[in-house]
Amino acid sequence: MKILVVDDERDVEDLFRQKFRKEIRNEGLELLFAYSGKEALEILENNNPPLVASVFSDINMPGMSGLEMLGIIKNRFPQLQVSMISAYGDSENYQKAMSYGAKGFFTKPVDFESLRKEIGEILRS
Amino acid sequence: MILVNLISLFLLYYLKKSAGPQGFPENLNRYFKYGMIAAAILIALGIAKAPPEILFQLLSFVLVGGIIYLILNTPELDYQKTLAITPLPIIGVQLLEYLIKTISPAVFDILENYLDAAGFFALIWAVTMWLNHRKQMKEIEIERIISKEQERQLRNTEEQKSQLEVLVAERTSEILKQKEELQEALNDLQSTQAQLIQQEKLASLGQLTAGIAHEIKNPLNFVNNFSELSVDFLEEIGEEMAKISESPEKQNILDLLEDVKSNLVKIRHHGSRADGIVRSMLMHSRGGTGTMDPTDLNLLIREYSNLAFHGMRANPNPINVDIQLELADNLPQVKLNAEDFSRVILNLVKNAFDAMRDKINALGSDYSAKVTIRTKDLGDQILIEVEDNGPGVPDEIRDKLLMPFFTTKKGTEGTGLGLSITHDIIKSHEGKLDIESTVGEFTRFRILLPKAKP
Repeated sequence: MKILVVDDERDVEDLFRQKFRKEIRNEGLELLFAYSGKEALEILENNNPPLVASVFSDINMPGMSGLEMLGIIKNRFPQLQVSMISAYGDSENYQKAMSYGAKGFFTKPVDFESLRKEIGEILRS
Repeated sequence: MILVNLISLFLLYYLKKSAGPQGFPENLNRYFKYGMIAAAILIALGIAKAPPEILFQLLSFVLVGGIIYLILNTPELDYQKTLAITPLPIIGVQLLEYLIKTISPAVFDILENYLDAAGFFALIWAVTMWLNHRKQMKEIEIERIISKEQERQLRNTEEQKSQLEVLVAERTSEILKQKEELQEALNDLQSTQAQLIQQEKLASLGQLTAGIAHEIKNPLNFVNNFSELSVDFLEEIGEEMAKISESPEKQNILDLLEDVKSNLVKIRHHGSRADGIVRSMLMHSRGGTGTMDPTDLNLLIREYSNLAFHGMRANPNPINVDIQLELADNLPQVKLNAEDFSRVILNLVKNAFDAMRDKINALGSDYSAKVTIRTKDLGDQILIEVEDNGPGVPDEIRDKLLMPFFTTKKGTEGTGLGLSITHDIIKSHEGKLDIESTVGEFTRFRILLPKAKP
């Protein structure tokens, strides 16, 4: 089960790998990382049907924003679940993400317990 | 002798006529009147040749002499002097004739021709003098008319001048009034401009703060997350270590790991402290979104009085203050713009600290500073009180406290905007701000907020 995490902060990779160490080790979770929206789209494009079960993406990134990427992904792969993570917990971003078809909306600092629950559901499905 | 009396009559008549518009004094007029009557009687007696002729003739001379005397000795008749001289030769000749006739009629017969000639010359003299007198009179009349005209013009000019002066005074006062109005408008504009500049500065400062807070937030998240993770890992390491057999090295490792763990816990603790500060900075500087939401006022007061206290302690010149919260239980939620209203609490509490700092500096350790914050449910209103036992506010500046840019703080310590902004925020909540104070004892800010209509 592959999950793609998109964030321009490279340390996010370490953080996620360490946070989900047990899931990776014991439950067959595989994390893929992309550091920009463009890179994420490339990973998705290279494999059709997509390899990943779900995408978690930051909103505020240089270049393509997370919301822009969300729109493109939902256009190409309507079935793919995408959740957004934003430092700006404002209602505008939330509304936009939801209207673009995001599955979930997490605010930074990320509450890893709820994220773990969400990923657990994906793993079991 | 009739001639002398005719002269008397004529002189009197002429004098009477010559009176100007202001007339002669009453006694003069009376003299004229009686004189004229006397002359008329004497004329009548003369015509009738009633005896004793000689007496009446003498009276005639006395009358005309009296008239001439009157003319010469009355100031009002001064300008008629030439008139008095006019008949003099005639009268003289007549008098001579009379005297000679009376004393010696014989001599009179001899001298009659000479006397007639003298009478004739006297007549010519009189006519000449008369004409001369008329001419003088006319000149005087013209002069009088001219001076009257000049006087009239002068009066007119005076009148116009005073009218103009009134007009000028009116205009001047109008202009002064306008000037004052303009000055007031200018003052208003200047203070508004200054206020705008300050607000602009505060706004850009707010944006800057928000930007900084945001930039700090991300790295701070990493600090917190990684420290948390590391603590978890250390727990796991501890579990694994239990499986390794005991040895001095193992004990050393366990001790070190325990220190590392306690350090990480500290990093996590201070990281979350920083996170709290960043969050309230963001909340504070993001500026009101203008939404009024039901808010737990007591909670807000707790948070922000605490923030104000820690802010004060972290800044230069911290003071020891006892903060007492007397918050009403079961206070209903109040519709507030929490971001704006938090500023009210911050400002009032900060103000109290600043005021009490002055008192501490003045009194030293005998004084213990105390801030009391109360909330009360008054039925249709909520009361919030922020009271300090600082130096108090003198009456003369109490009204000025809420004015923008009024400050009692020295130099650059105060912007003079804190209470003004506070007041604006309270007004935007349809609330009221009152100040009660006794100098040397306390200052109490009372905020009344209307309860939300159900």
